[in-house]
Amino acid sequence: MVTTNKTMRMQTRILLLLSICFHMAVFAWPDLAVSGFAADEDLGAMWGTAKEEEKYYKLVQIPIPDHVPLKVGSFDVLPDGRLVAGTRKGDVYFIDGAFDEVPNPKFHLFASGQDEIFGVAHKDGDIVITQFAEVTRISDTDKDGVADRYTTLSNSWGYEEGHEFAFGSKHDPEGNIWVALGLSGSYNSNQLFRGWCLKITPDGKTIPICSGLRSPAGVGPNHEGVMFCVESQGPWNGSCSLKHLKPGGFLGHPASYNWYPFVKSMDAPSVKPNPNSRIAIEKKRVKELVPPAILFPYIKMGRSISGFRLNQTKGKFGPFENQIFLGDYTLSVILRATTEEVNGVWQGACYPFREGLSTGIMHVEFSPKGQLLAGGFTTNSQWPVRGKEPFAVDRLDWTGLTPFEMKEINIRKDGFVINFTKPVNPVVAAKLSTYNLTTYTHIYAGFYGSPEVDHTTPKVTKAEVSDDRLSVRIYVDKIMEGHIHDFDLAKMKSEENGDLLHKKAYYTVNEIPKSDAGEK
Amino acid sequence: MRTLFWGFVLCVQAPFIQTLAAQERNAIENAMFPAIESSQLSETLKGRVLVEEQNCVACHSTASVSLQTDSKKSPRLSGIGKRANPYYIERFIRSPHDVKPGTSMPNIMSHLDDNESVSAANEITHFLFSLSESPFELNVPDSVAAEKGRGLFHTVGCVACHSPRDDSGKELLATTSTPLGELKDKYNVKSLTEFLANPHQVRPSGRMPSLNLPRRDYERIAHYLLRETKVPGHLKYTMLKGRVWEGLEVNVEREKAGHVDDFDLAKLGRLQQNSAIIYEGFLNSKLPGTAKFFLEMNGGELWINEKKVVNLEPSSRRGVKKASGETELVAGWNKLKFIYIHAGKEPKLSFEMSGPIGKRSAVPSSILSISTEPIEPFIPYKIDSDKVEDGKRQFVNLGCVNCHDDVKNKISNELQLGIKKRASISKLSVSVVDGSNGCLSDQVGQWPQFALSASQKTLIKDAIPKLESSELGHQQIVNKSLITFNCLACHDRKELGGVPVDRNQFFVGNRTELGNEGRIPPPLTLVGAKLQKSWISEVMLRGQRQREYLATKMPQFGEANVGHLVDMFEKVDSIEPVAFEKIEDLEKVKQAGNMLIGTTGFSCIACHDFNGQKAAGPGALELIHTTSRVKKDWFYEFMLKPNRFRKGTIMPSSWPGGHVFMEDVLGGDAKKQIESLWVYLEDGQRAKNPIGLSRKSPELRVTDEAVICRGRGTAGYRGLAVGYPERVSIAFDTQEVNLRLLWKGEFTTVDNGRFFARGRDRVSFPQGIPFHRLKSLDDNWPYKRKTDYTFPQDQGYRFGGYTLDQLKRPTFFYEYGEVKVSDFFEDRLDDQKNAFFKRTMTFDVPESQEEFYFRAASGSIVNKTAEALYKIDRLVLSYKIENDAGKKTADRGVIRQGEPNELLIPLKLQKGKTILTLEYKW
Repeated sequence: MVTTNKTMRMQTRILLLLSICFHMAVFAWPDLAVSGFAADEDLGAMWGTAKEEEKYYKLVQIPIPDHVPLKVGSFDVLPDGRLVAGTRKGDVYFIDGAFDEVPNPKFHLFASGQDEIFGVAHKDGDIVITQFAEVTRISDTDKDGVADRYTTLSNSWGYEEGHEFAFGSKHDPEGNIWVALGLSGSYNSNQLFRGWCLKITPDGKTIPICSGLRSPAGVGPNHEGVMFCVESQGPWNGSCSLKHLKPGGFLGHPASYNWYPFVKSMDAPSVKPNPNSRIAIEKKRVKELVPPAILFPYIKMGRSISGFRLNQTKGKFGPFENQIFLGDYTLSVILRATTEEVNGVWQGACYPFREGLSTGIMHVEFSPKGQLLAGGFTTNSQWPVRGKEPFAVDRLDWTGLTPFEMKEINIRKDGFVINFTKPVNPVVAAKLSTYNLTTYTHIYAGFYGSPEVDHTTPKVTKAEVSDDRLSVRIYVDKIMEGHIHDFDLAKMKSEENGDLLHKKAYYTVNEIPKSDAGEK
Repeated sequence: MRTLFWGFVLCVQAPFIQTLAAQERNAIENAMFPAIESSQLSETLKGRVLVEEQNCVACHSTASVSLQTDSKKSPRLSGIGKRANPYYIERFIRSPHDVKPGTSMPNIMSHLDDNESVSAANEITHFLFSLSESPFELNVPDSVAAEKGRGLFHTVGCVACHSPRDDSGKELLATTSTPLGELKDKYNVKSLTEFLANPHQVRPSGRMPSLNLPRRDYERIAHYLLRETKVPGHLKYTMLKGRVWEGLEVNVEREKAGHVDDFDLAKLGRLQQNSAIIYEGFLNSKLPGTAKFFLEMNGGELWINEKKVVNLEPSSRRGVKKASGETELVAGWNKLKFIYIHAGKEPKLSFEMSGPIGKRSAVPSSILSISTEPIEPFIPYKIDSDKVEDGKRQFVNLGCVNCHDDVKNKISNELQLGIKKRASISKLSVSVVDGSNGCLSDQVGQWPQFALSASQKTLIKDAIPKLESSELGHQQIVNKSLITFNCLACHDRKELGGVPVDRNQFFVGNRTELGNEGRIPPPLTLVGAKLQKSWISEVMLRGQRQREYLATKMPQFGEANVGHLVDMFEKVDSIEPVAFEKIEDLEKVKQAGNMLIGTTGFSCIACHDFNGQKAAGPGALELIHTTSRVKKDWFYEFMLKPNRFRKGTIMPSSWPGGHVFMEDVLGGDAKKQIESLWVYLEDGQRAKNPIGLSRKSPELRVTDEAVICRGRGTAGYRGLAVGYPERVSIAFDTQEVNLRLLWKGEFTTVDNGRFFARGRDRVSFPQGIPFHRLKSLDDNWPYKRKTDYTFPQDQGYRFGGYTLDQLKRPTFFYEYGEVKVSDFFEDRLDDQKNAFFKRTMTFDVPESQEEFYFRAASGSIVNKTAEALYKIDRLVLSYKIENDAGKKTADRGVIRQGEPNELLIPLKLQKGKTILTLEYKW
């Protein structure tokens, strides 16, 4: 009896499942009587690439004074070059000097007393924050450096439960803030617009965008200005994903169907998704269903993806311009993603980028110097995080050396183009055996998460190396719609016979192009 | 948690103590006054303390008034029947020095033969125990509480005077400690707890202080000291809580222990889920044979004679399950251990057996015992009225009543005549002249025998003539008092003594970075020059303390006993006075102090707590009370050279050797800089927050400006709390745009998006919107119900945010249809300096509005006490309505009866602005 009995282990596992990826749950998990998954929880294997990554992207820890509880929920950068951080404690700090080579920053408390902040954006001299209960514009009207006006732009959504998180974007070109609202727990939408994305206009109008979210985190645009948000694994979500916030769309979790009667401009989808199905099947039945653009295979590519930002540093951060960088809370890693639109549907690939960060990452931000900041925190108990600092801000500085990486994968009607950051060894790259490709998908259902199912192993039939040796066009016998295409290029060599820094990439195929119009 | 930690420290150090004790151990033969022996007091004063502690003046007359008032009164005996075991008392009266070695109680029967002394002690006991009605009985000790008590006993200060004990209970410093005797023979848990909580009721002279602990802690200490008490019983039980399904060793907390008759769960009260009970005892079987056990439970294990007989894994997924097992019983006692685990739904236990003891049935208590050896039950003392009368006579004749004079009134006038006779035995000054007989001689006679050593007797003999001839000076009074109350057991005082080496290790604290200052109470050297008199009296007489991180509590000795020290310290301690120049620009100096204390200056707040907010560093003494605690001269000298008053302090000097680091502050004048800190700190809790103050603490403190926090908790989910500088607070619900709570005192704690009001004197306001057009006075006042998804926007409400004034006080903005409202709470003081709120609600409408009500308050009793003045339970609310031209509207307030009753103020808004002003006093 002294050893953990089977029933209890089962129970622990179920609880684990219940909580997996729903990392937000930790912040307000109600008295968990049975929390068998605390400190020694297996977080999955490390990629083992941290040491090599450090050569290309150096990790710098930003010092935080003892008196500042900087549990970052969101970042922004002011036009004057100061870093802005919104925190769990409800404070907004302006930080001077965070981007210096050897940082010794000064912290200025601009605003305080707000609820947990998971969205910060500057506009016209003001700071707009997204907190649990509202979107708030914070102004310093007497210009003494400290906020004195807090204007509620919108609180037009229900908030009656501790898990009902709200994450906000930066301003879109029209000045709107996009807010993604988590469900009441994982399964239900008990209050108005839980599970929806809303758009808050500069004058405080609230416009519902789409339904079907579960426990969204970061919200922001891709390189074409199209808005996306991060979604967490859980019911109706086999793994974490990046979802396209398509106006009028239904993004997968049907609990939030009940708010369509409150939206004049939208009708509820005429059918609900069938349980125990596949996204690729259900999207044909539920025409509003927008499949996740990028699926992040669980543990291999994060467990609780949080905030993300688009890299438009004009090369200051290396060869990954216009790509998306995402933080992961549980694994303390940074991931990379690329998106493309095929047949009107967004999809793309994700790639490992950097591991070994100091804490649970909640948000990332690019500095004007092209550094990537990553901040966040851990919780005291209950939720395992690989980074051990209770809170921290890390900075990744590109050293100027280019790693040999799969830069981007694009789909073609009968295969893929794999772009590299450096020229490949043409002999190795022309070998079909260099390309190990498997595919799988998830069960689309109301239970928690999903194993990987329906595995296939497409055959690579041809590999054409481009003249500049920076890309390879591969042809495969069958592309699987609705599947993650798992690329293992361990055997690939660069021109200098170097290995890939990261050998894996994962492309989510929602659509297969009808022609190769995109072929260069 | 803290207790546990300290307990751990203790365990680690125990071996060291043992070796010390081994060297020192020898039998205690004399009355123990360890404080006298270890002190550096003059011989005369030592003699004086002995005279006082033995209460010589109870029998001997003296010209010295102070000797009479300072002498220790003996324990009060009128309540002894409730508190003490009569058998112990009887033994103790007869031979006190054998029963409690080291006691100051004299043997008053040395001149009687054995038979006489036995019957005298018996009669006196009958008399004493006839004085109270409720008889003494033994309590079962709780081993779980005892374990906690052990930690407390060794950390909160008990072992500063009494001996620490090892695991087996052996006293480690017996020869240098105030003796306790065999407490388990004397007290029960209830009476010892009561004594510890109120020691001065029994021992009015305060030598045994009160420690101001929660009652639960006194109980724990009592359980520890009495843990060897033997009481017969059927089964021992220990109750545990936590992750019991994983085993009982880790992640499980022991809750309580005791005796229980059988396996009937109901006898242990309500059982919480995820708890376990360990039953231990012996099962008596007349015959040997196979016994079969039938259990029904969620989970558990049964062991008979160290063999596992039944084992059922617990599960939270089901209710109870049946399990059975069999084993051979021997004739006689069979050892039984049963672990019952309640991880499932309802707690349920059925425990039956069949076999040599009979047919299948529940196990009767008659065959269960906690011990294989018989334990004698406590037999109440039967009072014999004849003996009571004899006892009274003995009590007078043997002189007991001279010291234990509280029971004098229980004795007849006739008998009392004998007291007077005895009291005139001799003058104190005469008593020492003849050494051939009397208390100080080695002769046996009709006088009390004190267990005084030869040297103690010499001290007394030498001292008495001097004591009679002159009263003590201030310094002598201070020195004597510090010994009498054993202050030096915890505090150092120069040239007098301090914490003894062998006890040093028992002083612990929870801020290890502070070193010795984080565990040993502060020195008393120059304390009268250091502390304000008012603060000395707060600490000594009202139990205030600043160093919460010390495990040792400041004991309370009673104002009557130590009150004189408050003045006396100031009279005997002084340092050179410091002259300060007149301050011209007070604000400028304060600002300099504010700057110096923060990270912009000397970063005092990096180590020190400030205004209730914990330092990021070691957590040294709170600074905000500095000027109400210490004197300005001393503060100046201390800042200049901390080492002067506190040797080895970790406090650095910011002006080492008078050197000034901050040359641009106040002209680089060290004296002015130090004074600026003082002037700044004089603002107390209102002092402006310094730069760099840690924001890590979950507790929000209000200082010179208002503090806001938002989140779920006290005021719904969209709550907002404001703490105002006048120490009043509001909680405002920004969803229903309405006031929810007013309170006074401390503000709130915040915790990841939640806040909870602290403080006191709460006045709450009901859920619901502030304004509404009631169709009828019978209609319900609207509030957000579970499915009112768009409420209160659907009622025309919109919260617009707030602005902050110079003191960071918010003005809320919101809309009710066309009505735009700005709403400002101002904290004010009335004539009696009581804080109240003046609330100004300004309504602005583009055109005249249909009348609506403002629900101002609700409560069980709502009365109109004057025009526009209402009393709602404890809240006094007045209001006025005027437009922007100053035209007032008469009071038309409606008291609506209901559950609860409500005060509704009708508002008929005309185009333009209307101002509703309310005053909330409570």
